[in-house]
Parts: sequence; C-alpha cells; structure tokens
Amino acid sequence: MGDIWNGLVQAFKLIIHLDPYVMKITLFTLFVCGIATFFGMLLGIPLGSALAVYRFRGRRLLITLVNAGMGLPPVVVGLFVYLFLKRRGPLGFLNWLYTPTAIIIAEIVLAMPLIAGITLAALQNQNPKIRLQAKSLGAGEVRSIITLLRETRISLIAAVIAGFGAIISEVGAAMMVGGNLTLNSQPYTRTLTTAIVLEVSKGESETAIALGIILLAITVLLVWLMTLLQQGSLLNYPTRIARSLVSRRKKEEAA
Amino acid sequence: MTAFISIEGLRHFYEGRQVLDIDSLAIGEGEILAVVGPNGSGKSTLLRIINLLEKPSSAEITYWNGKKLTGLDRGERKELAGQMAMIFQEPILFKRSVKANISYGLKIRGVARHEVDRRASQMLERLDMSDFASREALTLSGGEAQKVTLGRAMVLEPRLLLMDEPLASLDTPTRKLVRRDIARLVKDMGVTAVYVSHDYQEVLEIADKLAIIFAGKVLQVGKPSEVFSRPASDVVAEFLGAENLLDGEVADCTEGLARVRIQGVELQAPCEMPAGSTVKVLIHPEDILIMMDGPEKSSARNSLPAQITGVSIIGALAKIGLDCGFPLIAYVTLASSEELMLEAGKKITAVIKATSIHVM
Repeated sequence: MGDIWNGLVQAFKLIIHLDPYVMKITLFTLFVCGIATFFGMLLGIPLGSALAVYRFRGRRLLITLVNAGMGLPPVVVGLFVYLFLKRRGPLGFLNWLYTPTAIIIAEIVLAMPLIAGITLAALQNQNPKIRLQAKSLGAGEVRSIITLLRETRISLIAAVIAGFGAIISEVGAAMMVGGNLTLNSQPYTRTLTTAIVLEVSKGESETAIALGIILLAITVLLVWLMTLLQQGSLLNYPTRIARSLVSRRKKEEAA
Repeated sequence: MTAFISIEGLRHFYEGRQVLDIDSLAIGEGEILAVVGPNGSGKSTLLRIINLLEKPSSAEITYWNGKKLTGLDRGERKELAGQMAMIFQEPILFKRSVKANISYGLKIRGVARHEVDRRASQMLERLDMSDFASREALTLSGGEAQKVTLGRAMVLEPRLLLMDEPLASLDTPTRKLVRRDIARLVKDMGVTAVYVSHDYQEVLEIADKLAIIFAGKVLQVGKPSEVFSRPASDVVAEFLGAENLLDGEVADCTEGLARVRIQGVELQAPCEMPAGSTVKVLIHPEDILIMMDGPEKSSARNSLPAQITGVSIIGALAKIGLDCGFPLIAYVTLASSEELMLEAGKKITAVIKATSIHVM
C-alpha cells in the first residue's frame, strides 16, 4: 500500500510542477493521436458513408474488411507498418521508421476502420428517404450525404470518441514503429503508453503512475467534452447565454 | 393551352417488370393534377421520374422551360431540379429547429442569410406556426411535421410541387386540417402541383384534374366531377368506390336514349350502344330520389317501386339499401331519412333521372 500511496503523491507533484519530461510526453501523445484521429475521420467517414449509401461491386468485401478492421490487434498493425517501413521494406526509402510519422500511420490504420464501421452502421440505421428528401429540395449528391451525416452526428461523435480512445490507449503499435525514443539525435517518439511501460520496467512507479493519471485524465476529459458536444449541451451554452443577455436587455429597455 | 409539363411514351421497368406505361399525360400551368390509383400502381415512381430522382427506361418529358428530359445536361438538370420540390408520405424532417428545416432549401440555393430568415419567418406565419420556430423539429406531431415539410417545400417558391401521399401517415381529423393547409397554400401561391394518392376522396376538393392510374397505365384523365360521374371503364368506377355498378343489357336504343335491362327491370338512360350489348351501368347513390307515395308526375324517366332492405348511418348521411328487382344503394341526408321514417321493410319509390345513369 505504501508504495502506491507514495507513488500517487509523487505523481501529483510531477503533474502540479508541470515536470518537463512528463509534459513533453503528454503533448507529444496529444499531437500524434490528434493528427491520427483527424486523418482517421477524414478517411473513415467518407468510406463509411460510401459503403452505407452506394451499392457497388466489392462493397460486401469492403464492409467485411472494415468490420474486421474494427478489432485489429495493435501489435499486428504495428508489425505490418514496421515491415513496410523498415529499411529493406517496400517503403523503407522514406526513412519513416522510428519517427512520429510512423506512429501516426499505424494509429490511422487502427482508428480509420473503427470510425468507418461506426459511421456505416449509423447511416444504415437512418431513414433512406432523408437523402431523397434532401435531393428533392435541391441538394446535390455530396450535400445530400452531408445532410444525412448531420442527422447522424451523435453516432459520428461516438465514432470519433471510439477512434481516439483506441489509439491513445494502445501501446503495441506505437512501441514497435515509434521505438519510444527520446535522444536528442533522434526523432522524439515517446508516448504516454510507451513511457509507462518503460518507467515500470525501470522500477520508476511514481513517474509511471503520474503518466497513468494523465492518460486517464486526458481520456476522461476529452470523452466528456465530446459527450457534451454529442448531447448538444456544449453547443447550446453560447446560445443560452446569448438568449439570456437579449432577454435581460429587453427587460432593461422595458424598464 | 400549352402544357406546363408533358409526358410522352413513358415506359419504366423495375427488375424486369413494367411499372409504368403512360402514352401521354399533360399538366397545365397552375393546375393541380391528382394522380390516384391503388398502392403499387406506379404513382410514386412517376413522381420520382418527374422530379429527376429516377431515370425512366424510356420517356420524353418536356418541362416548362422547353427543356426535354432526354438531352438535359448536368447544369440544366440541376436547374430544373432546383425548381421542383417534393413532399413525402411520412414527414421527413431534419434534426434541427423548425425554422432551420424551413430554411434548408434556401440555404442550399445560396440565398443571403437575412433573406433566408425573412422568407422562413414569413412562411411560418403563413402556416400559422410562428410559435414553433425554435422548436426541435423532431418533437412535432405528425400533422405539424407535415405542415413544416409543406412549408419547407413552398418557401422555395417552386415551379412544380410534387406530393407523394402527403396525408397517408396522418389520422383522420389531422388529415382534414393539413389538406386544407395544402389546398390554401398551393392555390394562394399559384403553384402547379402533382398530388399522388390512393384515396380519390382526399383529392376531390383540391384537384383541378384527376388521373386514374392502374398497374402503371393511366386509365382516365379529366375533371374530378367528370371522372367521378362518367368513369371510362368499370375498373375506374369500381376503384372510385361506385356503390351501384350493375350488369345490364341494352334492350333497344333510339336517338341516344336506351332502355337497359337489369335483372329483368328496365331503366332509361342515355347510351349510344346497339341493342343486345352487354353493359355496365353506374348509378351514383346521391342521384337516387326516394318518394313515399307512388310516382308523382316528374321529369325523371325512371320510377321504380322498391322495398327498403336496410338503413345504416354514415356521418350526416343515411345509406339506404333498396330492392327494386335488383339491389341498389341510395344516400339521403339523415334528416330526410328521419322525416320519412325510412326503415327496413318499408315500400317506397326510387326515382332516377335518365341523365344520372351512366352506361358504359
């Protein structure tokens, strides 16, 4: 018990003092996962939409692949990205192995099918006439799909939460293609998860616990923000405030 | 009158089955055309084809701007589609406020924001729904929702409004209200419209022209009253819910007036068919007069002694079952039914003008 308690106390000290080592890892993780989630959305939402809306040859196969992709083991994804990026691999000439780019690629591969799969499921649950209605009011092909996506925004945000949650918490792929590097001569590739693994193996449980708390806090905070967005209250705050201001001014004018 | 839209040789196949086979159908400017037929007769497909949402197997449609369906380029297609709006059986609203729903089409067309706001507010006022502006659209009742979809279409000031069974998902009292709103708005704004329904009664008041469609074919087009009183065929008559559609035979025919024999009883009716033809005879129940004390002198050609077989009450009307050698149904107002004390077993005389009998 004493160890855990000590660890917690030390961890809070590290966080409160904005320990540079801890901060750098945290910011780096946010950066990598943010970009990967962004590209995951950029690819996943159109892919999921296309699979939901259009009928074409090979659609079923693609859906199977996407669904399978939703449960990809990160270590295996890491392994494949590694095989492609290693010096003698097909993309070895890019020299991307053990760089942030490599981590981002692996995380996109992990997040994209999750986002596409949830988008697909959500759109298929919608009334197919929504798109017809939008078109009959003058919407073009793309606009009609955007309207449909807007109708599904709750599920879309859930898709993004799932994608982000999956990649910020995984360690296998980030470790394998990133290398957990911090030396000045090399690209920086240490994420919260890879750092925790390292600190524990070094016996530095305070740092590990501090990083663990931060990881948890980031996850909870972001998921909470997205939930607010999803349930509409985040967007409602500004309008509510504006409304109350307007009504107050009216009252004052009346008085 | 040159047609606003004319459809020629429309054939459409779906999964190898022919769903539409229309030689010609025209809609005049400002006209409300009701297309009525049973479910699965191809009505909705017709609307989607006009609306450019579906491509027909073959057809020539000439639109109001003189553009023809075959040979529309992308830009022309978009322009035409932008001048049409459609409302569906179930009110499909978007997950936003009522006002945002009304604004949808205007925003797509790139109308300036204040103009969108002005026109949407104006439309809400016309619909008597200003208080609903900021309501979440998905919380509306069926009738309110359908009014919003109507407003969302009409705010675009379309050249052509297409309505696909707009009342079918509503309950009876709501149906009346929404129908009134549709009629008012469409007529006030002078919009040309096509109204599809499986229920002819729904469109009688609204439609300027009625097309009866069956299994993809247009069987009859005309003013509703014309179609109703002079159906082109027994299929149409039966579909229009004709109560008295009888089999008969022309006994003789002189100068357009025939004696038609129905189960041994003879009726006089206008007819151009030679003696011996088997015919269908249509008598509208409202056109049958019931008299108590034998046939008085009247201009009516047909007076039939009859016995009442049953009386049932439908709203403000009494439906009187008669046996006058063949079964016949008559409608009288509830008040006169009570005054005459009509009841089963009573003997009366049924009087029918020759011109109220339609022989086909």
